[in-house]
Amino acid sequence: MFYSTRSKLLAGFLGVTLLVGAVSLFTGVHLIDQNVFGEALNRVQQDLNAAHEMYLSRVKQVKTCLSITTLGFAFISSVSERNTTDLAIRLERMARLAELDFAGITTEDGRTLCRMGPYAFPGPASRGVNPLAKVVLEQRVSVSGTMVLDRDFLISENPDLAERARIPIGHRPEGDADSAQEESAGMVIGAAVPIVEGDTLVGVLYGGILLNRSEAIVDTLRDTVFQSETYQGRSVGSSTIFLYDLRIATNVYSPEGRRALGTRVSREVKEHVLNQGKLWTDRAHVVGNWYISAYRPIEDIFGRRVGMLYVGVLEEKFTRIRGQALEMFILITLAGMLLAAAAGVVIARRITLPIQRLIQASQQVREGSLNPELGPPANSEIGVLQKAFGEMVAAMGRRRAASELRIIHSEKQASVGRLAAGVAHEINNPLTGVLTYTHMLLRRKDIAPDMRSDLQIIVEATERVRKIVKGLLDFSRQTKLDPEPTDVNRLVGAAISLIENQALVKGVAINFNPGENLPQVTLDRSQIQSVIINIIINSLDATEPGGHIRIFTAASLSGNGAAQEGIEITFADTGCGIPPENLNKLFDPFFTTKSVGQGTGLGLSVSLGIVQRHGGHIRVQSEVGKGSRFFIWLPIQRRAEHESVGG
Amino acid sequence: MRVLVVDDEPIVLKSCRLVLEAEGWEMIPASSVTEALSILESITPELLLVDVKMPVHDGMYLMRKVREKRPGIPIIVMSGYATSETIKEAEGLGAAIFLPKPFTPDELADTLRAVAKSTSPD
Repeated sequence: MFYSTRSKLLAGFLGVTLLVGAVSLFTGVHLIDQNVFGEALNRVQQDLNAAHEMYLSRVKQVKTCLSITTLGFAFISSVSERNTTDLAIRLERMARLAELDFAGITTEDGRTLCRMGPYAFPGPASRGVNPLAKVVLEQRVSVSGTMVLDRDFLISENPDLAERARIPIGHRPEGDADSAQEESAGMVIGAAVPIVEGDTLVGVLYGGILLNRSEAIVDTLRDTVFQSETYQGRSVGSSTIFLYDLRIATNVYSPEGRRALGTRVSREVKEHVLNQGKLWTDRAHVVGNWYISAYRPIEDIFGRRVGMLYVGVLEEKFTRIRGQALEMFILITLAGMLLAAAAGVVIARRITLPIQRLIQASQQVREGSLNPELGPPANSEIGVLQKAFGEMVAAMGRRRAASELRIIHSEKQASVGRLAAGVAHEINNPLTGVLTYTHMLLRRKDIAPDMRSDLQIIVEATERVRKIVKGLLDFSRQTKLDPEPTDVNRLVGAAISLIENQALVKGVAINFNPGENLPQVTLDRSQIQSVIINIIINSLDATEPGGHIRIFTAASLSGNGAAQEGIEITFADTGCGIPPENLNKLFDPFFTTKSVGQGTGLGLSVSLGIVQRHGGHIRVQSEVGKGSRFFIWLPIQRRAEHESVGG
Repeated sequence: MRVLVVDDEPIVLKSCRLVLEAEGWEMIPASSVTEALSILESITPELLLVDVKMPVHDGMYLMRKVREKRPGIPIIVMSGYATSETIKEAEGLGAAIFLPKPFTPDELADTLRAVAKSTSPD
């Protein structure tokens, strides 16, 4: 399979972009995980501390309120006088101010004097004193903190309170099948303060807040810590108070939108926090959502771990950030890939278009065209390639033209030579017969005049045949050269003198300007002279009376390949000229424009053969109506390769 | 004057006979080298007119034989097609002159006369 450069480039671009994208994606997500989630865990831990501080300050607030109340002179005297009516009013007022769910006063001997709620004045038969008050009575110091009150006590304190504390258990952890269907104990924060008159303990004031179903505390915690931050309509933060492992006050919502009361914490957290008393900070699955959460144990006033405080932040907020970052990374990568693809296509096009053109051009060359379309030159290495290709094709064209001509010429020469040899041998014998017999007949005196003229025609025709055969022979005769140093000017002069009369008769002037100080040239005198005569006769034939032929000689370097010293003989006539279409055929054997009987069409081809065997060449320039110029160039020293030609 | 003409072409022999007899010379034809050699056993011609290209033995072979047996006889070599090598070879074998075919009666007669004149001092 052939993969184009374009697809390779494209694949490269896309690959790099994809790689960079993937690496940045991986790194980005990793960094977000490390920093954002790490930061979130740190923050939620701080949030838990803040929530715990608020929890404690709420406890302290209750205690302070109670303490202030016990300092009032009127209050003390009402207690010592057992003025329950007055005390009931005072309790009510205080509870309202401190937002207490329950409050009461006991006597120094442990009898409940007065309390809030429907059983404000319990009889002597009523159940014992509030555990908070009991601690004060035993230790004679004020106490405050968290405490778990069982249902019986809650009822005795206030049946409404007991009712509020009831929380049905919705979710029981596995293996805990026999646990209660509902939680009836109440978790409270509260305080108890001794009431002292002078140095004498006259009673205990106690009060507190029931945490079960208390929305105020957890919501205040949440709103203070998380500042009402919301995400998609939900509060980002959440807080919960656990009684042991059970949610008794929370703003974590169930999927149905209710507060998730009565649900339990995971066994892992319970073990870690409740049993071992440690902090827990991690991702946690809390009632259907993932939270980054923190738990800490809550201890009651006796130092027992009775519950947990929890704060958490919706993980979705952070996963959303991560998601957005991911989206952004993917988008950037995709955009990068698109850009890379576009750039790849453009660049590949710019690179491959000239290459395509070159391929097409080489195809054209293969199909024989030597003038292929290369397209506009590219300004890159491709451009250099294009140029080199063009030059190569041009050189090929020149060489092919030259070699084709040479091949055609030598092929023609060889076949014509063989043919001529055969023909000459076969024809010359019968020709001898024809010539002999007609001549002998003509010698006779007794033949009729009309017969004589017929015989004459036979003689002329036979002479023509003889000429043609002689031309053929001259053409095919690859005689070895017999070179000797020659003065070219003299040779040309001698040739001219042989034709001068003919020229004079026709009325054409031949002017010869011999070049001065020409070196001697080693050549076959008789052959070169026949070439010179042939060309002058051609010029003479082409030139009308009144015209002239100028001949001159000069030293000249050969034009093709390595410059070689030589001599050029120029023949310029004012003749009819040669049409361009005939210039190529000029040296072909049997090509002639002369009328039948005037030329064999072998003269120039024989001449070219002779000159070439001397290592020279013949060039022609011609303009129809103005005249022609023939140039014979001959090297002063023949090169070795030409010696073998001929024979 | 007796001339032995050797050529495998009857028309050439006939032509030569016509011209030579018109000149008043005796013409002895031989259509092959073998025939010419057997004739030379018994007759001594004043001139030999020999074609180069003939089947079996060519003119060169004949000339070598003649040079061995009758070195005095002048030989005219004729051919319808000869390269300069052939001419040089013929000259090397003692050919007096090279006569290209075709020739007219005058050309033949003139050539024979010239050779006969130059080789007959006595």
